[in-house]
Amino acid sequence: MTDAVQQVAAKPARTGVISWHSTPRRVATIYLPLACFVVVLLFPFYWMTITTLKPNHELYNYKDYNPFFVHSPTLVNVKKLLFDTEYPQWLFTTMSIAIAATVLSIFASVLAAYAIQRLRFRGSQWVGLAIYLAYLVPPSILFIPLATMVFKLGLYDSPFALILTYPTFLIPFCTWLLIGYFKSIPYELEECAMIDGATRLQILRKITLPLAVPGLISAGIFAFTLSWNEFIYALAFIQSSEKKTVPVAVLTQLVQGDDYQWGALMAGALFGSIPVALFYSFFVDYYVSSLTGAVKE
Amino acid sequence: MTKFTRRDSIALGLGAAAVLSPLGRFAKAAVPVADVPAPKFEIEDGASLRVLRPAKFVPADEEYFNKNTKKFTDTTGIDVRVDYQAWEDLRPQTAVTANTGAGPDVVLGWTDDPHLYSDKLVDITDIADYLGKKYGGWYPLSELYGKKFGTDTWVAIPFGGTGGPAVYRKSWVNEAGFDEFPKDLDGFLKLCQGLKKIGHPAGFALGHAVGDGNSFVHWLVWSHGGFMIDENQKVTINSNETIEALEYAKALYETFVPGTQSWLDSNNNKAMLAGEIGLTQNGVSLYNAFKKSEDPNIAKLAEDVYHAPMPIGPVGRPTATALVVNAMIFSHTEYPNAAKAYLTFMMEAEQYDTWLTASSGYWSQPLKAYSESAVWSSDPKILVYRDTMKDALWLSYKGPISEASAAVVADYVMLDMVASAATGSATPQEAAAEAERRAKRYFKS
Repeated sequence: MTDAVQQVAAKPARTGVISWHSTPRRVATIYLPLACFVVVLLFPFYWMTITTLKPNHELYNYKDYNPFFVHSPTLVNVKKLLFDTEYPQWLFTTMSIAIAATVLSIFASVLAAYAIQRLRFRGSQWVGLAIYLAYLVPPSILFIPLATMVFKLGLYDSPFALILTYPTFLIPFCTWLLIGYFKSIPYELEECAMIDGATRLQILRKITLPLAVPGLISAGIFAFTLSWNEFIYALAFIQSSEKKTVPVAVLTQLVQGDDYQWGALMAGALFGSIPVALFYSFFVDYYVSSLTGAVKE
Repeated sequence: MTKFTRRDSIALGLGAAAVLSPLGRFAKAAVPVADVPAPKFEIEDGASLRVLRPAKFVPADEEYFNKNTKKFTDTTGIDVRVDYQAWEDLRPQTAVTANTGAGPDVVLGWTDDPHLYSDKLVDITDIADYLGKKYGGWYPLSELYGKKFGTDTWVAIPFGGTGGPAVYRKSWVNEAGFDEFPKDLDGFLKLCQGLKKIGHPAGFALGHAVGDGNSFVHWLVWSHGGFMIDENQKVTINSNETIEALEYAKALYETFVPGTQSWLDSNNNKAMLAGEIGLTQNGVSLYNAFKKSEDPNIAKLAEDVYHAPMPIGPVGRPTATALVVNAMIFSHTEYPNAAKAYLTFMMEAEQYDTWLTASSGYWSQPLKAYSESAVWSSDPKILVYRDTMKDALWLSYKGPISEASAAVVADYVMLDMVASAATGSATPQEAAAEAERRAKRYFKS
């Protein structure tokens, strides 16, 4: 065995063969695919940025100006967005609604997921499945019946109309995600706590939730993003211009018939995507760990 | 100026008070008005209104609409709040309002909507009769959209329509060998072939473009004598006339700039401004985009941009359509009389004509008298938009407007048929048969 290893080690490297750690192989197997991913994923942001900075005459003139570059950068579109519309107000409204709906949904989902996964009452698996199926009902079917409830509760045209309806699709999704995460936390930890006399709520608060932080953050990111980008409920339940969320409001203000204010629209989309991007980048480690497995037994 | 309170009984000649304003005097002078007594309404105590309408076409559209609304509030003491919604998002909001019985009191909704929700709307025959008598009568298309189908009951006041005639670069049309824009289909095809030859092809939207796409394909099929349904709601699209229209579309498509099968409403504007195409079909927005461009090179091209009615086919009559806005009062409102007063006030010459004039041809009037408005003599190039409501057909021509007909339009059955035949993904026969199958699903019940 040792001789064989020594023989292999003594063999001179074959010329013309790329070793596993060689630069060309790393470029071909890692950096090139990575570069492709980066280009594909970041191109929309690049496009939004250059469109934001282009004056209108550059946007429409491909013959004299290369469409992939900005020749005479301008902040006119940003100024139009920030000062000629109520964009800061829309951003604040969207942020408030997304945070409130996310907190509410995570709270309800934790209780639901824990009950389904740990209490194991009769039919708990079916309840879990039913909650997930509820997520599959498209909002375009639900918005009219939900509108009736919103009106009857006197919530029409108020942020609460969205804060209380977004959980209808956030809770099923977060519950389903957290059921999977709770499943990966060893039950023995809870049994030990029970032997020490802890109640269910104490176990949830002091044992399970601290271990489930990556799962909670992952669910929170999804919930926040879904709330941030939601369109149909925000369109149907909010009428006043100043109370609209970003995805609906930018269309109302910056699309005039068939005349699209592309520069300001792209500025709106760019600024609107920044909070979500920041949210992801801060919690990316938790997010990855929640998807790749939780507490190891 | 008389100051009314909300408790007053309002004679709906209120707008006459505004005659004293400079704009009002100007408007009043231009539009012929009959001496008709205004209806009187008992305004409800504590009345206030919420109005929902499509987003502005031009800033002046919103500005003057708001000014007129404020004038109404100043005159009557009735608070009115106007909210604006993006064009394609207005219908879901109208649907929510209609189906929940709550929300805005007045909605300025799109074409078919009054017919979809006619049982949920206030009868406004009294104000429609008054306005019709005072302002020279309603155009037939206005009556069609305003009246509940098959009755004389008005459920909506058509507020204005926007049309899509041909928009072209005159110098390139001349270069293609045409002194004038052709008036028949043969000439039109030859023009498109000529434009392609000189490197400035035509481009018409064949994607799911609500305005431009629907305008183009309906004009094309109707001009050959094809139509989706007949008067008895029988699906008749799979006809020899439709096949001929699709053959023509195929020949026409070969002359288009590449990519039109995915074009939406904004694409032709962008292509024309970029100098990629020499001919398309659009509202007046394109011409104004040239005129108001920040780039002096584009702005000076406005001189070369002209409009013309789309050519007439074998049917021998114009076959354009129009995107019409109809004002509806929903029966859930607590203040129907205040809402009626508001609509009447907004349609009076002192208000309506200032708004129409400020909108620079984006909107065309539903009442005949407003064809004398100063806006139509302000620029000869926009004159073609004046008769938008006069000559246009409705989207479910020749049949009645119904939920099924609206669904067929919303599902782009006509557009998909023309696009698939034109691009060669289906033969004209296959495309017509598929359109028939899809349309019949909606007209089954």
